Amino acid sequence: MDDFLSQLPNIDHTDIRLFAAAVNASSNGVVITNNLLPDQPIIYCNQAFVKLTGYQRDEIIGHNCRFLQSDDRDQKARGLIRDAMDRGEHCQVEIRNYKKSGDMFWNELMISPVANHVGMVTHFIGIQNDITRRKTAENDLANEKQYLEERVVERTQDLQESEAYLASIIETIRESLVVLDENMKVLSVNEHFCKFFKLNESEIIGRELFSLGGNGQWDIPELKDLLLNILPHNNPFEGFDLENDFPKIGRKLLVLNARQVMLKGKYQDRILLAIEDITERREIEQRKEDFISIASHEMKTPLTSIKGNIQLLERKAQRNNDADYIVGFAKTSKSIARLERLIYDLLDVSKIQSGKIEFHYTKFDFDQLVAEAVSGVQVTTQTHKLSITGASQTEILADYGRLEQVLINLLNNAVKYSPLADEVKIHISKVADYVKVSITDAGLGIHLRDQKRIFERFYRAEKITEKFPGVGIGLYVSSQIVKEHKGTLWVESEEGKGSEFNFTIPVNNYK
Amino acid sequence: MNAKILICDDEQEILDITRLILEDEGFDVTSVLDSLSVEKLIEREKPDILLIDLWMPGISGDQIVRNLRRNVLLSDLPVVVISASRDGKEIALACGADDFLEKPYDINALIDTVSKHLVR
Repeated sequence: MDDFLSQLPNIDHTDIRLFAAAVNASSNGVVITNNLLPDQPIIYCNQAFVKLTGYQRDEIIGHNCRFLQSDDRDQKARGLIRDAMDRGEHCQVEIRNYKKSGDMFWNELMISPVANHVGMVTHFIGIQNDITRRKTAENDLANEKQYLEERVVERTQDLQESEAYLASIIETIRESLVVLDENMKVLSVNEHFCKFFKLNESEIIGRELFSLGGNGQWDIPELKDLLLNILPHNNPFEGFDLENDFPKIGRKLLVLNARQVMLKGKYQDRILLAIEDITERREIEQRKEDFISIASHEMKTPLTSIKGNIQLLERKAQRNNDADYIVGFAKTSKSIARLERLIYDLLDVSKIQSGKIEFHYTKFDFDQLVAEAVSGVQVTTQTHKLSITGASQTEILADYGRLEQVLINLLNNAVKYSPLADEVKIHISKVADYVKVSITDAGLGIHLRDQKRIFERFYRAEKITEKFPGVGIGLYVSSQIVKEHKGTLWVESEEGKGSEFNFTIPVNNYK
Repeated sequence: MNAKILICDDEQEILDITRLILEDEGFDVTSVLDSLSVEKLIEREKPDILLIDLWMPGISGDQIVRNLRRNVLLSDLPVVVISASRDGKEIALACGADDFLEKPYDINALIDTVSKHLVR
């Protein structure tokens, strides 16, 4: 300091000392360079500069300021400084400088020229301010901002992708979809809707659903009832059948699913309506039913003729005591009976499938039903003795013909699948408010694996397929009939020992 | 004199076998394919019993039975419906027929049913 002061012109030393002390006490780093000496050496630095840079005073004085640059020479700020100094102008930059330790710090550098009385720049004063913390905070903020921007872009892309994904799902569905607001105005429809109903989107969007297409074709009382009355109390509502005549596409049978969005937010109260066209499916079902019904009816005519002729011939053979013919006709009669049952079963399967099987409930004596079914089957077999034990002594309300069909089916099975046995046991009982029949044979029995599946349509146990003809519908039809009566049909069996088929029917079967 | 039976069905083979069975039992049988001429035939032949199919072209069996039941002279004629339809029994009883046989019928059932309604 004293060296420096001694170099100053001879003015009032007290003021200068004060200024010098002030500069030295400043928390900003201060350096003064001599512009007149080669390479502009530093001729003064204050304490703060020493503290800031980590260099000792003797490592600073006499050096050009560039030692603060380390190897980081290509900064834009450096050019600005050089230009300003060349022009002898003031400048302020933010520049990366390096401490003696090598640590970088951000320096907010102010350079001011000092000119002599003829305007020649003799010195530059540099004021350094360490703004590393501010810069770091700014950088962090910038990084954070950039990160957020990237995330927004990412999320936006995600949303766009998932929206496009959902839209493509919706457009791919072969079902018409409509979105309505709570006032039944159409907000959007999928492509299938436009195609199916032959409407342009412009004729749909923003219109009230019931006014679509003009001519009141969408003014359908059942649809109004669904959306205005049923849906509010039964949300979501599925499987609403609707039949309507649409001028452009004709009479259609539709199944509707409706759902009102309950989720709070921007989509609340919107109504989604999915419309499936089942016109063709119903037609095919109907045609299939008609076919089976007509085909089996047609089969019955020749069968009536065959059966009648055979029975008539059998009668004549009996009259003439013609043993050969009697045996032959008896065998033929058996085949005819099987064919007859098969036709009935086919018809029944078709009716069960379409839910059109009809039941006629009457009151009758259950034991008598069993007795009649047993004697009916007894006459068809010479090999097995069918014997009834027990009794229910109960009248039930049921379909006589259908239960007889179940009994005949089970009895025939018992005879058929016990070729080496000579007996089928039938036991009747009353269990709580059910009547129960058990039909026991000493036949092949059923493997555990097959026991549940034998009640399925067209299922046949593995081992019997070759030896015993059949299509596997008898037990299916029987179990459906028992089920309709709210009873149960089940089997208990051990392979090689025989089977016991049981069914129960509730006594008070009021539908 | 043997009881007279009139059979009406649109299938010749049904008429043939039914006639064979009943004639074998000693009945006097007349058969007709065309349902539209049944009512005239009844008036002419005065059968003791009518056996009739349901589904026939021209006029259906149940319609014929309804017409008979409205006719004072013929309302007492015993009628047995013979049909392949499983709902035939309901239709038969609803239109006023006395009994129902499902095709393919059992010949004993045919003979028994016919005899039962001739006795009354």
